[in-house]
Amino acid sequence: MAAAFGNLVMAIRGIGSNWLRTLLTMLGVLIGVASVIVLLAIGTGSSQSIEKSIESLGSNTLTVFSSRSSSSNGTSIRNSTLNTASVTALSNSLNDPDVKSVSPVVTTSVTATYDGSTYTTSVIGSTASYLAAENYTVSAGRSISRADVTHHAQVIDIGTSVASALFATGSDPLGKQIQLGSSEFTVVGLLASKGSSGLSNEDAVAIAPYTAVQDQLTGESQSFSELLVQGKSSSTLSLAESEVESTLASLNDTTVANLPFTVIDSASLLSTATSSSKTFTALLGWVAAVSLLVGAIGVMNIMLVTVTERTREIGIRKAIGARKGVILTQFLIESTVISFLGGICGALAGILVSRFKIDGVTPVLASYSIPLALGVAISVGIVAGFYPAHRAASLRPIDALRYE
Amino acid sequence: MIVSSGRAAPYEAIISARLAPIIALKNIVKSYTMGGVEVHAIRGISLIVEKGEFVAIMGTSGSGKSTLMNIIGCLDVPSAGHYRLDGVNIRHLDDRAVSRIRNKKIGFVFQGFNLIPRMAAIQNVELPMAYAGVKPAERRRRAVVALGMVGLGDRLDHFSNELSGGQQQRVAIARAMCTNPSLILADEPTGNLDSRSSAELMSLFTGLHDQGRTIVMITHEPDIAEYASRVVVLRDGEVVSDRAQSATHAVSYELEPSARYSFGTTGDEN
Repeated sequence: MAAAFGNLVMAIRGIGSNWLRTLLTMLGVLIGVASVIVLLAIGTGSSQSIEKSIESLGSNTLTVFSSRSSSSNGTSIRNSTLNTASVTALSNSLNDPDVKSVSPVVTTSVTATYDGSTYTTSVIGSTASYLAAENYTVSAGRSISRADVTHHAQVIDIGTSVASALFATGSDPLGKQIQLGSSEFTVVGLLASKGSSGLSNEDAVAIAPYTAVQDQLTGESQSFSELLVQGKSSSTLSLAESEVESTLASLNDTTVANLPFTVIDSASLLSTATSSSKTFTALLGWVAAVSLLVGAIGVMNIMLVTVTERTREIGIRKAIGARKGVILTQFLIESTVISFLGGICGALAGILVSRFKIDGVTPVLASYSIPLALGVAISVGIVAGFYPAHRAASLRPIDALRYE
Repeated sequence: MIVSSGRAAPYEAIISARLAPIIALKNIVKSYTMGGVEVHAIRGISLIVEKGEFVAIMGTSGSGKSTLMNIIGCLDVPSAGHYRLDGVNIRHLDDRAVSRIRNKKIGFVFQGFNLIPRMAAIQNVELPMAYAGVKPAERRRRAVVALGMVGLGDRLDHFSNELSGGQQQRVAIARAMCTNPSLILADEPTGNLDSRSSAELMSLFTGLHDQGRTIVMITHEPDIAEYASRVVVLRDGEVVSDRAQSATHAVSYELEPSARYSFGTTGDEN
């Protein structure tokens, strides 16, 4: 133990003999370790934000889009729009026992005005079930209702971003009339914040009855841009998907294969996005690994230089009784200490840099990245130091002593 | 006296160790190839050095004296012949055993001092004891005594670039004797020193000899060889003369009181 400690002291003294060189070598390891940590944090951060934004799309939901493509035999398909008939058909629990709700969706983007304040927001025209399917909750006031839809009522639920842009802090937006384009809508409810995800601001939204949106804003009254179908549970979502597809196929006199609609399941979207972001993270990791490798080569290079430079010293040590193992350990400890210190500083630098937003991504430290990077850095030190150390230890004292 | 017959029985080893001369060289040959030419550096040297002798090995450059010194110091192995150091047959020892012998039985003093530059005098002196496994406190105590003995008690923490050549060589002597070796082996110890420092250093060796230590010194300077009690002259890898002499320069060096201190047991605490 005492001998090991003595070795450590000797090694540190050896390192201290050329501070600048040691620092530059450490810098190589530092940059390697820091970039592993930062790049993995960026990867993790961006994949988390993708996952979050997809999750906020809603749970157990299917989105039905009208795909404008023609069928495989080239004949265009008639009546290929999503309309109230589609909603009615899909809401039939005999045909679609696993569907909980169907919400028609029309979307548009308008400039909202209140008392001189303006804000451009996306307006979603739908029904009350849309809020539940999309995980919106009302924090004050009430949700749009079935009656609002029936009566084409110009009422609206607004997100927190819209509310804070239009209304002064402290004032109550409920019951106020806001101007959307040329029409006026009454604020009946405030949506609880869902937070901003990397992709879009879920709070910059206003939800109104689709009938009123069609009347006042889009002018379209025949079709919906999409249907949001909520399944009864996540386990039966794939059943619901096939039910939706067959119902729409029979409604449009076509087969499921030729269906002019695309049905997207939020879970599959999530898994696709997750796997692609994992690939992205892995790629970043490899880039960082390359810089760590460069750091390792630096350590090895410096250790080789050190051994050559200290050949005579090795000879002296051997002449006064140092065993091969002692010399080997001394140089191994030196390279390990360099890598370890570089690794620690790199980890600190990595953690520090990960606190800042980089290119719009908020990095999230991956818990495995720090032990991984440190472990690799230390192994790198041992591996890179081994060859030079072995070379030093194997020198014949007579040759080492003669070395000039 | 020494009949090498393979591996000796334990009691034989003990007996031979007790009675053995410090150095027993028998028909030592060393040859190596240099640029495709075979060089016979040593052509059959037999030499016995008894405990307490102060031997000067002389010879011109190329006489094989450095090669002989390397063999005696276990830094090189002979091509043929037998070598026993303090009763131990050096042949066929592994790295660990040879390191141990270099550490415990031999104290080196080199021409170029060979101190480790980034270490203070005391650390240089402590180093062989560290390799021997002596505990730090004991190591330091002995290093202080040894440095005091060579007159550097006030230079413990000086680095070699802060010491004169003579002082560096005295640190080397302190380093050589602190493990209480059987043999002090000096290779041209005054080669890099002026005459005053040389004289000081030689009185130091004389003092060590008076204490009963065995010293083998390689030199090419006749006036340095005068200090020894025996002079062996080599020429072309062979002993051409081997004579005892009364050391004419044997002016006793005034050792400091601490120098009288005995180092006690050997440094083995492993």
